[in-house]
Amino acid sequence: MTQLAVEKLSVRYGAVEAVRGLSLEVRPGEIVGLIGPNGAGKSSTLQAIMGSAPVTGGDVKLDGRSIVGRRPEDVARRGVALVPEGRRIFGELTVEENLRLGLAARRKRGNGAGIIRAYDLFPVLLESRSRHAGFLSGGQQQQLAIGRALAADPDVLLLDEPSLGLAPKIVDVVFGALRQISDSGLAVLLVEQRAQRTVALADRSYVLANGELRLTLGPDDAGDTDRLVAAYLA
Amino acid sequence: MTLRRLAEILVPAALVVATALLGLVVSSYLQAYFLDTLIKVSIVVALYVFIGNSGVLSFGTISFVALGAWTAGVLTVPEEQKRITMPGLAHVLVTTNVGNYTSLALAAAVGAAAAVAAGLPLMRLSGLAAGIATFAVLEITNNVLTYEQRIGPGLNAFSGVPQTTGIWQAAIGGLICVAFAYAYQRTRFGRMTRATREDPAAARASGISIYRQRLLAFALSGALAGFAGGLYVHLQPLQVNGLYLDLTFITLAMLVVGGSGSLLGAVVGALAVNGIYSFFSAATNGVDIFGWNLTVPSGTAEIVLGVLMTVVLILRPNGITGGREFSLPRRRRPVADLEKARVPT
Amino acid sequence: MILGFLNLTWPVFADALALGGIYALMAVGIGLVFGVLRLVNFAYGQLIMAGAFALAYGAQWGLPNWVSILFCFGVVLALSVLMDRLVFRPLRTHSPAVMLVATFAVAFLLQNIALLAFGSLGKTAGALAQLQAPWDIGGVFIRKIAIIAITTAAGCLALLQLLLTRTPVGLHMRAAAMDFRTARILGVRANRVIGVAVLLSGLLAAVSAVLLTVEQTQVTYTFALPETIVVLAGVVVGGLNRPVPATLGGFAIGFAYGLLGGILPTNQSQYLNSFIFAAVIVVLLVRPSGLFTRAGGSVERV
Repeated sequence: MTQLAVEKLSVRYGAVEAVRGLSLEVRPGEIVGLIGPNGAGKSSTLQAIMGSAPVTGGDVKLDGRSIVGRRPEDVARRGVALVPEGRRIFGELTVEENLRLGLAARRKRGNGAGIIRAYDLFPVLLESRSRHAGFLSGGQQQQLAIGRALAADPDVLLLDEPSLGLAPKIVDVVFGALRQISDSGLAVLLVEQRAQRTVALADRSYVLANGELRLTLGPDDAGDTDRLVAAYLA
Repeated sequence: MTLRRLAEILVPAALVVATALLGLVVSSYLQAYFLDTLIKVSIVVALYVFIGNSGVLSFGTISFVALGAWTAGVLTVPEEQKRITMPGLAHVLVTTNVGNYTSLALAAAVGAAAAVAAGLPLMRLSGLAAGIATFAVLEITNNVLTYEQRIGPGLNAFSGVPQTTGIWQAAIGGLICVAFAYAYQRTRFGRMTRATREDPAAARASGISIYRQRLLAFALSGALAGFAGGLYVHLQPLQVNGLYLDLTFITLAMLVVGGSGSLLGAVVGALAVNGIYSFFSAATNGVDIFGWNLTVPSGTAEIVLGVLMTVVLILRPNGITGGREFSLPRRRRPVADLEKARVPT
Repeated sequence: MILGFLNLTWPVFADALALGGIYALMAVGIGLVFGVLRLVNFAYGQLIMAGAFALAYGAQWGLPNWVSILFCFGVVLALSVLMDRLVFRPLRTHSPAVMLVATFAVAFLLQNIALLAFGSLGKTAGALAQLQAPWDIGGVFIRKIAIIAITTAAGCLALLQLLLTRTPVGLHMRAAAMDFRTARILGVRANRVIGVAVLLSGLLAAVSAVLLTVEQTQVTYTFALPETIVVLAGVVVGGLNRPVPATLGGFAIGFAYGLLGGILPTNQSQYLNSFIFAAVIVVLLVRPSGLFTRAGGSVERV
């Protein structure tokens, strides 16, 4: 099955080097966490994978094949889905329309089975399917954003700070859903600021600071705050 | 003052003077093109003072040229002639008559006043909104000047204005505009306005009022534009539709092609583009280049201009000079301009 | 006669509705392209002009009307696509202000090519002029073209609405207009969405050309220029960002123009343009997203 591999990735915006020589991989069924302080390059990494950021070195491989330099819509159509920072749902469209939009990247000509999956995973979306997405709560919007990403039946799911602005109970729901998603075979790369919860959830977590990989942590390290802080401040 | 700073005004000024001298030695048929070019320099410099320093697009500057032209024209046409050719003219305008230089000064004043009036509400806008709003100013001015018989000739051409703009007046007018533009960008105010263009957030954080600086630049731009309008009306009988969309486009094209970021760009753009334009206009009556006769259909000049502008915008939006002033060996950082807000795809 | 004291009669009312309809079509054409490209196509009027010249040639060659109309559509669509490929595409990364200036340049260019090719007198496209004759509807004489324009505009707008709301590509276009970046991440193909918008925009321009030539049979290089400027004002006032407010803006301005033009004596309607553009300035200052849009939500500043 698919595996996402990032090899010595470098991302540069003008004079600023956001990511330097980053390497990591995500296997099917895994949740890999990417944590680190603000400006560490976490978002840039996801953008680069998606084709929305200028890659100046290294490679991104999907199932062994390079996807660097492809347009975002083409990367999406190869089975990579991004849940962007701030959710970026379409407030003026209904929940159902938002999900239908997610179908744009589907690879099998189907009847929208991906939407059914989204509704199964997040029942609250089914209840509010005809409401304008702008009226949903923060947590519901996050679920919509994830559901929308899943509608295309991707192999890889990238998430950029999904817990941002959410109450702890909702974070539970979201993170629980992520576990279900990875269990169904997807490779999940989770970028987060909430270090502890991420490290506890993920099979592996990488700490990114200043564009470089600093530390690799397992779920058992979730309680080791000293190590985390040291890695952030290094 | 360093040599480099001096070059910033000397080179454009020298180009203007060179053009004027050239205009003196050519035939009177060709001289008309040189006169036209010198006036265009004034207009484009006026455009530059605002657009170049603030980075904000203005489609409305030609309104101020028109208002300046109207002012200078109406106040210098001999009174008896005014009663005949502009019967609807307001009484105070019929009886007031001023001399050549006064009319130019008043034209500048009216241009400045109009710019302030328009700028007070509009200077908070930028980008596309500013473009559209200033376009609206152009429309309103054109509409009013076309139909309002009490302040000018309306749709008719301005006849009877003393034709005092010869090579000297046009050249000195151009130099005056260059001098004011240079002086402005050397002052604190000019530098503050440039700062707002480079990095608005940083400028604001440093306490610069973007609104106030832009308003000042716009007012100066209006004054110079009005002044140029005065020069223009003393050159040939102007008609309101000649101070509208086509002139707006042509002068904007000159600024863009020359490079909107620098005074040199404005002057070079005006001279180069009007040179090309004049060449092709003259070629409609046949022109001899090294013994080979070239005749083009009328309208070619405009088409060449349109293509040139489009190509420059696509390939080199910073223009010929790249937004840089003329600099001796030490290279200055190129100045960002109209294309500042690049949208990532 | 309704509202006789206002000089308002059924024919004037119908004509105003018709003008509103045509302007609404033009507004959508401009709005669609703005939505996906963030580009105000100042040269839109020249597309209509090209269509009108095509109709003129059709008449000159003695082609039956429906063939002329097809030819008109062909020419306008071809020119739209050309404009997109040669000018819009390379400019996509530039700021909206630069794009506006570029379309200004294209408009200037096309006008002068037309002037060069067809002279200042232009050509006559009189084949459809007979539609200016009125139908007798219950004692009131309403011009045929008024009815045709109203129904055509309504029909086109209805079809467009169906396309935008019921089809996947329509959904993609709406999403692209709201947030292109996110739409692409979801798999929406940028080029396809832009291509469809350009095509639809061209179709609407062609329809407008046909409707406008009925009354303005003399096609010159400034054909549709004043109308485009007014429609642009209407679109900005109505709301540049979304198709529905843009359409309403275009319709409102066309209707107001037609109504006031028909009711007011000439010397009072001369300054109509100034009022309209003063309204544009006010809207840009006070409510830049337009009068007919919902405040808040995901509407961006111009």
